[in-house]
Amino acid sequence: MNLLTVARYARPAARSVSPVPEPWNELLDEHGSPRPPAEGLYAVLESLDFDELVTRQEAAAADILTMGITFTVYSDGRNIDRAWPFDVIPRIIEATEWARIERGLVQRLDALNRFIDDLYNEQRVVADGVFPAEVLADSTNFRAECRGVHPKFGVWAHISGSDLVRDADGTVYVLEDNLRVPSGVSYVIENRAVCKRAFPEVFARQSIAPVDSYTEELSKLLVSLAPEDVTDPCVAVLTPGMFNSAYFEHSFLAQRMGATLVEGGDLVVSGDDRVFMRTLDGLAPVDVIYRRIDDLFLDPEVFKPESLLGVPGLMRAWKAGKVAIANAPGAGVADDKVVYSWVPDLIRYYLGEEPGLANVPTYRCLYDDERSFVLDNLRELVLKPANESGGYGILIGNRASDKELAAAVEAVTANPRDWVAQPILQLSVAPTVCENAVEPRHVDLRPFILTGETSYVTAGGLTRVALPKDSLIVNSSQGGGSKDTWIVDLGAGWGTY
Amino acid sequence: MLLSRVANRIYWAARYLERAEDTARVVRAHGEMIADLPTDAPESWRSLVAVVGSSALYDERFGDGAEGKAPPEARVVEFLLADSTNVASVVSCVTASRENLRTTRETVTRDGWQALNDLHLYVGVEVDRGGDRRARERFLSRVIGDSRRIDGILATTMIHDEAYVMWRLGRAIERADMTTRVLGVRAAAVLLDARPERAGDGATRRYDELEWMGVLKSVWGMQMYQRSVSGPIEGERVVRFLLEHDRFPRAVRALLREVRSALRELPDPSSVIDGVDEVDAALRDSTAAGVDGAALDGAMDALQEALARLDQRIHARYLRLG
Repeated sequence: MNLLTVARYARPAARSVSPVPEPWNELLDEHGSPRPPAEGLYAVLESLDFDELVTRQEAAAADILTMGITFTVYSDGRNIDRAWPFDVIPRIIEATEWARIERGLVQRLDALNRFIDDLYNEQRVVADGVFPAEVLADSTNFRAECRGVHPKFGVWAHISGSDLVRDADGTVYVLEDNLRVPSGVSYVIENRAVCKRAFPEVFARQSIAPVDSYTEELSKLLVSLAPEDVTDPCVAVLTPGMFNSAYFEHSFLAQRMGATLVEGGDLVVSGDDRVFMRTLDGLAPVDVIYRRIDDLFLDPEVFKPESLLGVPGLMRAWKAGKVAIANAPGAGVADDKVVYSWVPDLIRYYLGEEPGLANVPTYRCLYDDERSFVLDNLRELVLKPANESGGYGILIGNRASDKELAAAVEAVTANPRDWVAQPILQLSVAPTVCENAVEPRHVDLRPFILTGETSYVTAGGLTRVALPKDSLIVNSSQGGGSKDTWIVDLGAGWGTY
Repeated sequence: MLLSRVANRIYWAARYLERAEDTARVVRAHGEMIADLPTDAPESWRSLVAVVGSSALYDERFGDGAEGKAPPEARVVEFLLADSTNVASVVSCVTASRENLRTTRETVTRDGWQALNDLHLYVGVEVDRGGDRRARERFLSRVIGDSRRIDGILATTMIHDEAYVMWRLGRAIERADMTTRVLGVRAAAVLLDARPERAGDGATRRYDELEWMGVLKSVWGMQMYQRSVSGPIEGERVVRFLLEHDRFPRAVRALLREVRSALRELPDPSSVIDGVDEVDAALRDSTAAGVDGAALDGAMDALQEALARLDQRIHARYLRLG
């Protein structure tokens, strides 16, 4: 069976409900020919039969197993350390298009950080009538404990991941911003290592942007956050521990940065608000904490008193400026699917610029008119809880049963602020190795953005792929896989902006 | 700078891997020895359970009188290699070692972690074939070989800092413990059989040399014993060699030298050094006790207790989260 034929002509089954356009294929154009940046890859794919491709796929899976690239799933009442699901065919984006996306992301995080800093200080944005006071008052992620704090550079969300999707007409949208503890970046780097072994001949011939420098940039960013009087700052990565689904990543990042991976129990805050870790040689000072624990677990003195993951006194130390925390506590206030709908306005307000990346039109159920539109058109919309992550609680209108729809109406009516709705986007697809052939599967993309004194965006990011046929859920906790993402330079050069 | 928690996990990763290797060596040596004994010689598979200190669990599981019901070899081997409910089995030890190292991946080198992860994957797949003698030999070789390989990888790729010292300490203390166990159970049993009042019992005496070879092979001391002693294999000399040789890396005295050398690399080890002195004293006492079955058994118990107190001192000084 010729691989290319299958990849070009296999189409997803037509949906029976509402007629939808063909999804955009990331690698192939409407005639089934490879798009220019994918030509190098296809030259190799065409020379392989399906069995050879499967062999490469299996070799990649074996690499992942022996390299111990894992994520943890909670299932059957216990935590299982599972091999990271990876599809060997990369997703490819042309470099000049990527440069445009990168600019849009930097702009977006610039505005969001100004917004967070404003909310915890002067609240100009509310006074000027751009952002409604009642939305702020209702926000579950606003931390009153953070008011009046001025983190260095005015930046709160230092490490963020924005999820991008591409609709049928090729437009790239930001689907959501993750400003709390976004994960996945370690898999960007590991996927590349595995993909290089799978397609060495393509890497030899093409200019594919490297992804390795992320940890170096992250390390520089974290060091730059240290209190002014510290000369040789000690950076620690704070993990909830080995049972967390992203533990692999916490360990990976600490290792790549030469930082110390700590758990709450390793840290102690002294009476003069300084943070120390317990070492063989006694207490050693910590200056910067890259925390991978949610706000509410950070400090039992301030937030959940029963939390065993956190460090009593950590908020004190942070507010006293004795330790930097990334992301800053409270940064999640802008990581909310309701706030999301204001991002284009925030960009205009803080930066006086037009957004470089499109927002998906979003209906906010807290407004009567928008809510009644949502309730009247539920079958045509995706309904999302405003404060959940991981793909949980999402209802896709044209795939839901009558019973599910009725339950959704009830939930929205009961707690309008908890829900937003968006049109059903036709997520783009990319050719993926399936059981018997290469078939198109839906993908999204999570680039990671570092914001400090300067900004940095990963070259590409984590492409997540929904492995079951026609599925739109890409989360690894729910059957999603991943792909390497290539930014391919066709000669225009990168970094042109 | 090393976190106490990380130090603790590296120490235990080392101990568990050493225990897996040592158990594999004991099972292998026993299998080789049994193959040389006539079929009517009293088999002693059950004694291996005592060597690894799992007698209570084994008896609870299979009962004292159950010895005759199933072939003891298959049952003991399954218990020592594959039984995941036995925390001292090879599969449990490799799993525990890997879990400890998995949580210190930012400290140990990637190559070392991958080798251990690889062994864990292998053990999980292959362990059920341990009942078949030929497959068992491959399995034991792999466990022993990989354990040595991981030591080599860490020795040649890690900075020899506090983290590596914790690895050395865990290895040495566990290894010393196993040498005393082999002597306390196996050697003591051979000596008891060899008492003058039983000297006329030719059926037992005839195989003494094979048994002593088994003791040496359990701790991989056969070749080095011969090189060092350059004489026949005699019980007293074997015991002295495994306890007192200060350059044979599985002899207790040499292991104490290794423990002292490792401790000198750590901040302020004086309270722990006191613990090593105690073990040293127990070692001298064991020599003074003379080579007699019951005395040797008792002396080895005392040594194991001293090693356990040393372990407690290491925890109190370095590993406990204050």
